[in-house]
Amino acid sequence: MQVELEVNGNRYRVDAAAAEPLSALLRDRLQLTGTKVACGEGTCGSCTVLVDDRPVLSCLTLAAACDGASVRTVEAEGDLLDRLRRAFTEEDGFQCGFCTPGQLMSALALLERTPHPSPDEIVTAMSGNLCRCGAYEGIAVAVARAAEAPA
Amino acid sequence: MARLIKTEAVVEGRTEVRWTLVEEDSTPEWPADQPPGVVGEPTTRLTAGARLSGSARYTSDMQLPRQLEATVLRSPHANARLTSISLDAARAVPGVRAVIGPGDCPQFDGEAVLHDEPPYGGAAVAAIAAETREAADEAMAALDPQWEPLGFVVDLDQSLENQTFQDDPVEYERGDAETALAAAELTITSDYLAPAQLHNSMEPHCAVADWRPDGLTLWSSTQGIYQARSQLCGSFGLDQEHVRVICHFMGGGFGSKFGCGPEGVIAAELSRRAGRPVRLVLSRRDENLSTGYRTPARFSFTIGAGCDGRLQAVEASAVMGLGTGGWAYPVLEPVKSVYACEHQHLMTLPMRLNLGPAAAFRAPGVMEGTWAFEQALDELAEAAGLDPLELRRRNHTDVDPSTGRPYTSKRLLESYDLAAELAGWDARDELRSDGRVRRGMGCASQYWWGGGGPPAYADVRIGSDAKPVLTVGMQDLGTGVTTACAVVLAERLGIRPDQVTVRTGDTDLAGHGPFSGGSMTLASVAPAVRSAGHHVRTQLLELAADMFEIAASDLELTEGEVRSTDGTLRRPIHDVTEKLGNAWVTGSGSRAPNPDGMAVNTFGCQIAQVAVDTLTGLITVERVVAVHDIGRVVNPMGARSQVLGGILQGIGFALSEERVVDPTTGTVVNAGLEDYKIPTLADLPEVECRFVGEPDPELALGIKGLGEPPIIPTPGAIGNAVAHALGLRLREAPYTPRRVLEALQ
Ligand code: FES
Ligand code: FES
Repeated sequence: MQVELEVNGNRYRVDAAAAEPLSALLRDRLQLTGTKVACGEGTCGSCTVLVDDRPVLSCLTLAAACDGASVRTVEAEGDLLDRLRRAFTEEDGFQCGFCTPGQLMSALALLERTPHPSPDEIVTAMSGNLCRCGAYEGIAVAVARAAEAPA
Repeated sequence: MARLIKTEAVVEGRTEVRWTLVEEDSTPEWPADQPPGVVGEPTTRLTAGARLSGSARYTSDMQLPRQLEATVLRSPHANARLTSISLDAARAVPGVRAVIGPGDCPQFDGEAVLHDEPPYGGAAVAAIAAETREAADEAMAALDPQWEPLGFVVDLDQSLENQTFQDDPVEYERGDAETALAAAELTITSDYLAPAQLHNSMEPHCAVADWRPDGLTLWSSTQGIYQARSQLCGSFGLDQEHVRVICHFMGGGFGSKFGCGPEGVIAAELSRRAGRPVRLVLSRRDENLSTGYRTPARFSFTIGAGCDGRLQAVEASAVMGLGTGGWAYPVLEPVKSVYACEHQHLMTLPMRLNLGPAAAFRAPGVMEGTWAFEQALDELAEAAGLDPLELRRRNHTDVDPSTGRPYTSKRLLESYDLAAELAGWDARDELRSDGRVRRGMGCASQYWWGGGGPPAYADVRIGSDAKPVLTVGMQDLGTGVTTACAVVLAERLGIRPDQVTVRTGDTDLAGHGPFSGGSMTLASVAPAVRSAGHHVRTQLLELAADMFEIAASDLELTEGEVRSTDGTLRRPIHDVTEKLGNAWVTGSGSRAPNPDGMAVNTFGCQIAQVAVDTLTGLITVERVVAVHDIGRVVNPMGARSQVLGGILQGIGFALSEERVVDPTTGTVVNAGLEDYKIPTLADLPEVECRFVGEPDPELALGIKGLGEPPIIPTPGAIGNAVAHALGLRLREAPYTPRRVLEALQ
């Protein structure tokens, strides 16, 4: 099945299998392996990417449903994403980094929607992203800090 | 000159005697009174760029040309015999390149990898490698396995009745516990039941194998690349020179990923047969059925003490559910080794059940044993009418109570004092109320090993750009040990840690090194790194001495410069290294042994404050004060993160994490993250974290490990806090709303 989509500003036309999840299309066909699959069944948030600016779980999203969509992944560029990266670094918002691409994309979606989130809004937006290393404190502080930083 | 020495190392409670090769080392110690430059400064992670841009390549990200995808058929039964399987039908599916069944796969560490009598639900039976995942799934459906279900045991008591042990029972005796108990002024008895906690590293177990005529390369998500290499050599009869194991980035392990795992052997065998690279990534459910867990355990204690709370005797037993693998983790170590107590009789019974093999999980045995025993101690404190911390102080010991050996350092009393002060311990009764939400505060002590030791090796080279490359024989699970190594090297060379490139995770790069476990890694490798760095430093200073005609002993390397001690010369280090052209200055270092005859341990104390909603049964951990004695802290930023991570996993154990087995089918019902609840951001408490103690005077660089310590006291402190809040004690973890409400009725 032919799918045309834009990923991080680049246009692609790919042949996707009928049941192929977006995560597989990104990772295996486009070699964008930054997006991680920790559960493959919608329970951990590690595969979060933005589809038309909305955070989705790419392991549960059919690639075929993304025809015509614009997708952003952890490999994307952008000032806000860079601010988040800096804040995650300075607040030690990760250890092994496996959940981190999903954390960054959830945070990006939050800050694009709500540039100055309250602590509760941060918890609500980010608690679907599991981190077994337990870097939550750094993550929460980093998101708040990226929201404060001058653009 | 290198020489072979015999050393003793304690690894997760087991003493290993090893012969190791060490180099003579003349690296001067850090002066005790003066902080060594960047060591001890907060340092951000070296791996940040790669991990935050998506460019870090984890094992599951590997994509080699012509790589195949593998899947594994697993038994759906708690115990069964495979009566037929259509391997040929699977082979006939288009796109399938290799199919293996029982008998087709080499063993892993002497154990079958593919079973014809799979002894637990989730045990591997057959494996397929195909061009695409879809083809592999189709072939899987074609296998059409037929099973004859067999009887099974998943219940601890039944296994005990049948006397089916997975490992040898361990009995420990000192003094005469029976007589001392009979004579004790105070005795208490109590029981606790600890759950099976699943590791759930975010990166599942995975392997990518590339079998070629000239050797095997395995990318593996592993805590031990060298162990993985020797296991593969054993499985396939290969020489070390022909096996390379690579683990550049790893998404956590927490004890479940030692060696190459069965997945490594399966991937390698499929690759050997197909003549193509093969990737095998476990699903979350397969992960939770087959790759290990913290052993569930039933504890019984009888404790005898004087009216003053001083321990006189303990009789204890622990019945552990090991499933079909694992060993008798030191669950009663907290009884044996933390407090002075003359008379003990301890019995550990590691039972076999029709469940997946157990595996080490961050402080295996010790965490769950601490959870249980520290609560029994609070029961004793109550019986004696003593403050729980005072009871612990009274039972303090200055020597290892099981061996009589002195400690290299021990700051446990200091930890109690500081934790109590930071937590507001003395006012803890003021937290209590009769309202809907009840608050309480509880404490627990922490004891672990973590002194590190040989073997550990490091190589440093520096070229004209003055940016050193450090090669260390180890792998980084994600703990931050890479960054800590860069800090240690940067100190010797007078540069910033971010100017160091660290290469790890490749058996072809460095000859040997420790696995990542037992809180051993940094304490093992850091001295090797420093000594390699010192050799390079000495050579650079000699070059500078020639260039500037100043004696090397009057020169130093600081802040990126070569400086003379009299202040007349200040030049960038680069001015010296650029003379090297295309040449390198190199240095090697190795880890010397720890002193003989001494106990090397880490200590600490945590105090937890909880709020229990008596209407919903929900417990919130509001605050944790964590004070740990880990010797010298190399990177306080990374150290704090380790502590937070340990506390969160401890909160999971105490409040929500529990593998549930259906007793009627013997299978696990919550192998997915939907039903198996690990902590989220919403569960994060306020954490106050401090490190006490000086660099350990007896250890190289004074460093002790930190991987395990922070998880150890958390669940016990929470249990004691809940008991303080409610005035009653929950004997089974996790303290789910259901258990809380039942206890309140
Ligand atoms: S991998 Fe998609 S939610 Fe876990
Ligand atoms: S950083 Fe390891 S899982 Fe989040």
